[in-house]
Amino acid sequence: MKRFPLYSVLLFLILLFVWEISARSMSELVLPGPFVIFRTLLDGIKSGYFTPHIIRTTLEVILGLFFGGLFGFMTGIIMGEIVFLRKLLFPYIIASQAVPKLALAPLFILWFGFGMTSKVVITALICFFPLLENTVTAIKYTDKQKQELFRMLGASRWKILIQLKIPAGMPGIIAGLRVAVVLAIVGAVIGEFVGGSDGLGAVIIASQGMMDTPLMFATLILLTAMGMILYRVVQLLEKKWLIRFMKEKEK
Amino acid sequence: MVFLLVNDVTYSYQGKGSVINRVSWGIEEGEFHCLLGKSGCGKTTLLKLAAGLLQVDTGSIFLNGKEVVKPSPEAGFVFQSPTLLEWKTVMDNVLLPVSLRRKVTTKDRENAMKLLETVGLAEYIQRYPAQLSGGQQSRVAIARALIQQPSMMFLDEPFAALDAITREELQDDLLKICKQQNTTVLFITHDISEAVYLSDRIAVMDQGSIIYQTAVQLSKPRTVEVRYSPYFNDLCLDVRQVMGAERS
Ligand SMILES: Nc1ncnc2c1ncn2[C@@H]1O[C@H](COP(=O)(O)OP(=O)(O)OP(=O)(O)O)[C@@H](O)[C@H]1O
Ligand SMILES: [Mg+2]
Repeated sequence: MKRFPLYSVLLFLILLFVWEISARSMSELVLPGPFVIFRTLLDGIKSGYFTPHIIRTTLEVILGLFFGGLFGFMTGIIMGEIVFLRKLLFPYIIASQAVPKLALAPLFILWFGFGMTSKVVITALICFFPLLENTVTAIKYTDKQKQELFRMLGASRWKILIQLKIPAGMPGIIAGLRVAVVLAIVGAVIGEFVGGSDGLGAVIIASQGMMDTPLMFATLILLTAMGMILYRVVQLLEKKWLIRFMKEKEK
Repeated sequence: MVFLLVNDVTYSYQGKGSVINRVSWGIEEGEFHCLLGKSGCGKTTLLKLAAGLLQVDTGSIFLNGKEVVKPSPEAGFVFQSPTLLEWKTVMDNVLLPVSLRRKVTTKDRENAMKLLETVGLAEYIQRYPAQLSGGQQSRVAIARALIQQPSMMFLDEPFAALDAITREELQDDLLKICKQQNTTVLFITHDISEAVYLSDRIAVMDQGSIIYQTAVQLSKPRTVEVRYSPYFNDLCLDVRQVMGAERS
């Protein structure tokens, strides 16, 4: 990773300073200053208060991402390959896109209970669509000439899929994964808002009930850090796998 | 024996006028034929029909006595653009035809290496296509088509992206390899002197029909002097006039 340029650090310090100043003139309940928040964060981490919640939310995000992403990817491949199924299912996919999926969270709590399952299901549902869409597009629009090349070489449909369409579609598919990662955290947190007492989303709700605004901010920082780490992981994956594609694009 | 026989073939892309119009053509085993013609006259289409990538509307095509209904494993094809797989190295791209059929052996790697040496890319085997120049990519595509030692080669303007000198070198290499393996070749180009230099026979296409054809009587193997002989130049001029006449 490149080192942050000086002015970027400077801007950050100025923002912190302005924040601290404005926080002093306000009640801690409305806007706690960065020092207070930082102390709450540190205390929470040291005392182990955050640990189970972090683990819980991370687990939900990863499981949801895995199942939703995998399912979206496989459905995308099937729909990209089989025109009949694509035509049959696409209206439903578009319709379900229009459903505000987060609004379904209470329903899933009802169906799957207050435990982890309901949150994983919500997260998976949210991760499903970006991967589905990107995979369908990637499979459907594989370069025609490359397909002709494979036909010329007598490759079976299966081989064309495995050796051509999927690797050729990787940049698009990974772009879908990047979108899914960000959405996954939103999904898990919303699920935790609605029901249950574990996870960082539940901590936010609890802090609201206790009017503990610094705790709320501290949790937000944790969530942000989590999002950035996951995003970074996908970026690294992308770099490792797709270095050849990127080079071509940069040209 | 006629190795590739095109018999009164017509073809049109869906909903459009006919792109290939009652074309008949024959290539004897081991012969090298060039197809010339202006852009958009239907050369690539005819080549894809002959290779089995497209299906004829009427008429028929035979390769080595068998009717062509799908791409034959006996045939190699070089597309108008290199069409390499960006995620494979140069070596693996050349080996693609083999790896799609069976496990790659050391022998295959040696063959690929030899071909890559012939086209002057021995030092580039571990590179990815994005790291090659356009001309180098074309050469990889040619090596890939040759790896299976096809008895029939279809080449669609393979040298279009190359400079004059490299192009001449590769023309000679191609002639040499085809002679060695007794490959029958159908070669598309828009360069008249390239066509005359390479072929045993030349055809000129215009608007989906073959409007002119002639045998090339030059000594074989070709040498540099051939390019400057009076016969060579006269023939080029003849062909040029046939192609130019269509403009008016
Ligand atoms: N997939 C396609 N669908 C519809 N029309 C096509 C298609 N491919 C080619 N054509 C049309 O068919 C005609 C012949 O195309 P073709 O590619 O065979 O030309 P060409 O002689 O190879 O030209 P060039 O020298 O530029 O490569 C053109 O008018 C082109 O517009
Ligand atoms: Mg063409």
